[in-house]
Amino acid sequence: MATKLEQTTGTGTSLRDDICIMVGGQGGDGSLTVVNLLGRVFRSIGLNVYDARNVLSRIRGGHADGIIRASVRDIFSTGDQIDLLVAFDEEAVQAGISELASNATIIFDSSKGELSEKYRKAGFTIFSAPLGNMAALSLRKNIFKNTIAFAVLGRVLGIDDTLLRDVLRARYEHRGKEALEANMKALQIGHEFANQSIKEGPYRLRHGSNDGKILATGNEATAFGFLVGGGRFFVGYPITPATDIMEWLAPRLPKFGGVVKQAEDELAVINMGIGAAYSGARVMVATSGPGQSLMTEGVGHAGQAEIPLVVVECQRVGPSTGEPTKNEQSDVNHVVYASHGEFPRVVVTPGNAAECFYMTADALNLAEKYQLPVFILLDQALCQNSQCIDPFDIGAVRVDRGKLLTETDLAKMETYKRYLITENGVSPRSIPSQEGGQCQVTGNEHNEFGLVSVDKMNRLRMMTKRMKKVEMARAELPRGVNFGKADAKFGIIGFGSTYGAVVESMEQLSKRGVSTRFHQIRTIYPLLEDDLNAFADPLERIFVVENNYQGQLALMIRGVLRRNERIDSITKFDGASFKPKEITGAILTAAQSKRNEV
Amino acid sequence: MKCDIAMTRVVSPISPIWCPGCGDFGVLASLKKALSDLQIRSKDTVIVGGIGCSGSIHNDLECYGIHSLHGRLLPTAVGIKLANPRLTVIAAGGDGDGYAIGVGHFMHSLKRNPSIVYIVMQNGTYGLTKGQPSPTAVVGYEGNVDMPFDAVLTALSIPSTTFIARGFSGNQSQLTDLMKKAILHANSNLGFGFLEVLSPCVTYNDTYKEWREEIYDFDAEKGYDPKNRVLAFSRASELVSQKRIATGLIYTGTAKSLETNSLNSEVPMALQDISLPANIPRYEELLRDFR
Repeated sequence: MATKLEQTTGTGTSLRDDICIMVGGQGGDGSLTVVNLLGRVFRSIGLNVYDARNVLSRIRGGHADGIIRASVRDIFSTGDQIDLLVAFDEEAVQAGISELASNATIIFDSSKGELSEKYRKAGFTIFSAPLGNMAALSLRKNIFKNTIAFAVLGRVLGIDDTLLRDVLRARYEHRGKEALEANMKALQIGHEFANQSIKEGPYRLRHGSNDGKILATGNEATAFGFLVGGGRFFVGYPITPATDIMEWLAPRLPKFGGVVKQAEDELAVINMGIGAAYSGARVMVATSGPGQSLMTEGVGHAGQAEIPLVVVECQRVGPSTGEPTKNEQSDVNHVVYASHGEFPRVVVTPGNAAECFYMTADALNLAEKYQLPVFILLDQALCQNSQCIDPFDIGAVRVDRGKLLTETDLAKMETYKRYLITENGVSPRSIPSQEGGQCQVTGNEHNEFGLVSVDKMNRLRMMTKRMKKVEMARAELPRGVNFGKADAKFGIIGFGSTYGAVVESMEQLSKRGVSTRFHQIRTIYPLLEDDLNAFADPLERIFVVENNYQGQLALMIRGVLRRNERIDSITKFDGASFKPKEITGAILTAAQSKRNEV
Repeated sequence: MKCDIAMTRVVSPISPIWCPGCGDFGVLASLKKALSDLQIRSKDTVIVGGIGCSGSIHNDLECYGIHSLHGRLLPTAVGIKLANPRLTVIAAGGDGDGYAIGVGHFMHSLKRNPSIVYIVMQNGTYGLTKGQPSPTAVVGYEGNVDMPFDAVLTALSIPSTTFIARGFSGNQSQLTDLMKKAILHANSNLGFGFLEVLSPCVTYNDTYKEWREEIYDFDAEKGYDPKNRVLAFSRASELVSQKRIATGLIYTGTAKSLETNSLNSEVPMALQDISLPANIPRYEELLRDFR
């Protein structure tokens, strides 16, 4: 073959303990497959990985890319910059260029022509080769270019050929002999090709020691937490970015005697969920903002009728159809204030996949102990980005069904009242099929038996009983986690996927001489104001970091802090997650202005 | 069957909220008689009410009752049944509830064939809100210009329907018979027992007289074969064009029920042991999917 791998610039080899790689092209080019393979490679050498995908809301075509970062440390963000870009076309370079490090490396597929001069910045190392043409020529299919690129990547990263072969084999050995052989051949072509010009790749990776870690997205962890927490009925309607939860459960839940039901719309979803929960099953539904809009009436109904239900809300860019595949945290108000009227609810906000698992299992307990709807508020990045975490400690999960009665309990009662007024507001609950538990359950205001009532005294007693449950639950709601130095002057508050970027930003700030504390909120409704005040009291300034325009969390926090004049919002609403440097920059600017004031 | 005598005092049924002469009284009486004749235990019966006058029927029986949101009684009932298929689940609401705001769920229930009974008390009006035209209102009623919706024809047009009947609250013995058949159909896991009942609103749309004249009773026709879907559709459709209303057991067929298609556990979801110790080893196996 006449083609040679063309290398421009390039300066020696750097040893990295942290690297971020973007692989991009048209949808269907196999970019995400390369990201997936790289993940396997990195984890084999003990590195933690975090990956993110940037896809359009369409099945094929259009620009698509995946980003994978590997590090010897725990990471929960894609970091600040891309070190290495694999581009199957020029559009991918255009998509990644603004995030490329000044000394980035580009592996470019030149099948459709060389990379334009405007992208060839000084400092870049560019490996250019007609990957697609090579694949088509040798293997008759353009698609194998991604495996050829994977081989070249191996050399660029200084990774042992054997490891690449093992990883590729593991992926394709169950997909038929033909696929396996073709991919192994493509790998070989890539390696031979790289031999011609890459003597020593620009990177070497330090090996890590994450051997015991697992890889999970927030959605997968949420789904698994539901199962382990005793969840047996999941009902959903396909919606990005929540669908993965249903997809994960669909083949698994039935093996545990459970059911995954895809309903005709979200109205059916929430009401089917209510029916099954009333019947006695542990139930979860999952959706995104648009679906939550449709479920809203049902959530209020569950609150009023005191039906235990867990609702996962995977936020994406809104309103309306918004940007289905992009990240945002703009549904805080939407779930905290969802539905007309007033009813008790809890909204929890895990910050990483591990928390998704434990907090989902616990949300089922909260829902059943306090007989109310519990929201798990996630965001697209947390839902769909894979991260390395410690294995789920299944033994640590508890199943607490609260005041769920047995027939024996009922037989001992003189009178059974479904909505009995009790000290903590929670009434013992019967389920259909239990003798002596017959009752009426309704969203109308009702008396203790569940019969419709508009009596004023009854209304007061019933409202108080229901609303009281939130206060009674408060002591066992997931508390925020504090990070950083106790004597810091600056505080950061955030929730959900911003966790990863904030933690890294704190290190950057520390290097710049600014010490910070971070309070990661894990219950956003009710806000645990004692914890928030304890965190905030010693601080001079507090930055609330969130992916929305209005600063919805900041506004809520203002309502509960004793001294709220110190609150600033750091918001982002362009569909992308925060980068650590963006938070760092905003806080440094504020710190600077503070000094100027003084 | 073991007869449990509950010592625990539970909710007592209330008197219906309906106007004297309301067709829904007939529906309630037939339902009570059907449940009693079939010896279905109160503890195993769940009535799911919709919103509207008819949607209060669950308050008038001594069994488990749940009042759903407007239009959402079918998904609620399906959820209840999936979680515990041993229950007798009867959804009962009006035609505004079922054919207007909840019509999407009606279509999908017809398609899905869940083993529940669905009683629609059809009266051509929204009585509780004082007489607006409902989806079954005739042209001219309270300014209505839309053609009335015919749920029987709709149900017949969906290939997986298995039980379609229409009764009249003015004909108690037939109505009770149809209810028993619908309940037995559902409780035999054969699928969706759809029973529309002509149940006049004496206050806003008193149609007793018209309906008595318009009814054509298939049950009374010798040789009518309810197993022939094409014939059933053709006959029911012909009656509509003659401004007549088909009643009786209009169609029965076979299709797998939702429960047959969805459930694989002997023990209902609602009654399973979901405690951690019972399941830990199998959960641990799933951890491998995250390696």
